[in-house]
Amino acid sequence: MEFVTQSLVIGLTENAPLVLAAIGFALLYRLTGLINVAYSETITLGAYFGMWINTTYGLDFYAILIPTGILAGALSVATYLALFRPARHHNVGALELIIISFGLSIFLRHGLQFVFGYPERFYDVPSPDTIMILGVGVTSFRLIALLSVAILSGLLYLFIQRTTLGLQIRALASDEDLARVSGIRPLAVTTLIWFIAGVAGGLAGAFYGVGASVSPLLGWRQFLLILMVALVGGSWGLGGVIVVGVATSVALAGMALQFDQVLYAQLVLIVAFVVILKVRGSKLTETAKV
Amino acid sequence: MDLKWLDAFLISGLFDVAMVMGLALLLHLQLGLGRIANFGVVGFWGIGMYVYGVLYVQVDWPFGDPWQFLVCAAAATLAAGVAGLLIGWLISDLDTDGVLMGTLGFAAVVQILATTQDDLTGGARGMGGLSFPYDIGTVKQNEFLWLAITAAVVVVILLYVWWVHRSPYGRLLIAIGGSEPLARSLGKSTFLTKLGLFTVTSAAMGFLGAMNGVFVHFLDIGTIGVAVTLAAMVGLVLGGTARVWGAVIGVILTVGLFDIVVQSYLPLPREWYTQAIPVLREALFGLALILVLVFRPLGILGDMRRDRLMRKIHGR
Repeated sequence: MEFVTQSLVIGLTENAPLVLAAIGFALLYRLTGLINVAYSETITLGAYFGMWINTTYGLDFYAILIPTGILAGALSVATYLALFRPARHHNVGALELIIISFGLSIFLRHGLQFVFGYPERFYDVPSPDTIMILGVGVTSFRLIALLSVAILSGLLYLFIQRTTLGLQIRALASDEDLARVSGIRPLAVTTLIWFIAGVAGGLAGAFYGVGASVSPLLGWRQFLLILMVALVGGSWGLGGVIVVGVATSVALAGMALQFDQVLYAQLVLIVAFVVILKVRGSKLTETAKV
Repeated sequence: MDLKWLDAFLISGLFDVAMVMGLALLLHLQLGLGRIANFGVVGFWGIGMYVYGVLYVQVDWPFGDPWQFLVCAAAATLAAGVAGLLIGWLISDLDTDGVLMGTLGFAAVVQILATTQDDLTGGARGMGGLSFPYDIGTVKQNEFLWLAITAAVVVVILLYVWWVHRSPYGRLLIAIGGSEPLARSLGKSTFLTKLGLFTVTSAAMGFLGAMNGVFVHFLDIGTIGVAVTLAAMVGLVLGGTARVWGAVIGVILTVGLFDIVVQSYLPLPREWYTQAIPVLREALFGLALILVLVFRPLGILGDMRRDRLMRKIHGR
């Protein structure tokens, strides 16, 4: 029983940003058809933006979240307008779009080192308090991250499922021509999708960054798990992404406790996800329609 | 053999070019013909390098080199081939997203195993004890001979790729890459064809990994990162994914230009070499990948000769 509660508490508090990042990635994937490898750099840059605002302007961690989200969202929109949209106009194929996003990921990951420097960076925040939950010590940052992620995930889910704009986004995803005839402006709605995905990724990055350190590989190290959660959970919509993301977080913590080595836990999860994808088969269309 | 004229950095740079060229040629078969987006090239290369290194250093063989090298290299090739068979089976009927996940996942698994199995691999500390399977004199002479052998292996791969392009098997691969459902509807076994291609090319990547282990003498988990996949991919895309010579020309213009001309012959400040140059190299490779695919998706050499011929015949 102790093992289960430890896995639950550690998994949910430590890996909460994974769920938020996976929602943003899945949103982009489900609604535009693009596997955006550069999403890992949206996460990384979110962490860097937050650290930069925090250390430059002396704002506390919670105050930096809104500007960090806006900056990451703007970056995401900029990559769409400057790169993926023109690429689509050049009739670049789905596979080539993935390779372009891979190139963009590498370019941003290394380019940001010329801006923010090579060493690992840290947020300037006071030492967090430790709170006991079900007998497990959790830092206040991780607890706030969990609460924030839960609220943001819920808001995103409600926005997509219950609002008029969310309806327009889903309509555009299912049939672009029909959506256009219905008066939906594809550019505005697609830009909105990229912005929301960027905000989710950037905030996930800030939560990752404040919990440990900020380095150029921060987002890339999480990318495979995010991709797996989004691909497997995405078949059941955003709700599926949240459920699979939470299950993955808890399983990761449980196996890390069991094996005493987080890398083994990742290894088991990678194998499990690939086998799930094989058994289930890839049902989504290959046609990218950024 | 007097090699005073030959700079040690030049040998190392030329070896890098040959290695990446071999990988890019094999990636050409997977991506350019079969349209299998292997983002885990480094995984197959890395498994070959580590299996070779572990067997060569940790096993007490009853015979010495060159047999020791041949047996270990054969085992490394076999291991990469089996991995290719398994991963190929998992991904051959999946869409690009599944292929991306499977191949990236495999590369991550190899890196995790190389890190965690430190009793065998040395883990983060790395593993030494590798040497050339011969001794013909000085270090430079041994390195030069190994460079020549590696270049010969790459030429063999190039000839194989050239043969594939002109064989019925190659035409089947091109058909599958063009439209898999259409090829399947014509009674072709697309799954088995892709599986066979992936297994053979993965095995060859493993063999190249073993050859790299021999040259570097020291296995370090830092060398099995995404940079290897990037170098092969950017070279192939720049030269042209559809053409036999695309990988050759592309790798010369990217890895050759950067690792030899920029790193060895440009008068750059010494302190740049530790961090700025490697970071700049990767950033420029990433940028090249983007620019080529947006503005010239078929690369420098363009599309296949047969496509040009068809356009000429049909007047399109």
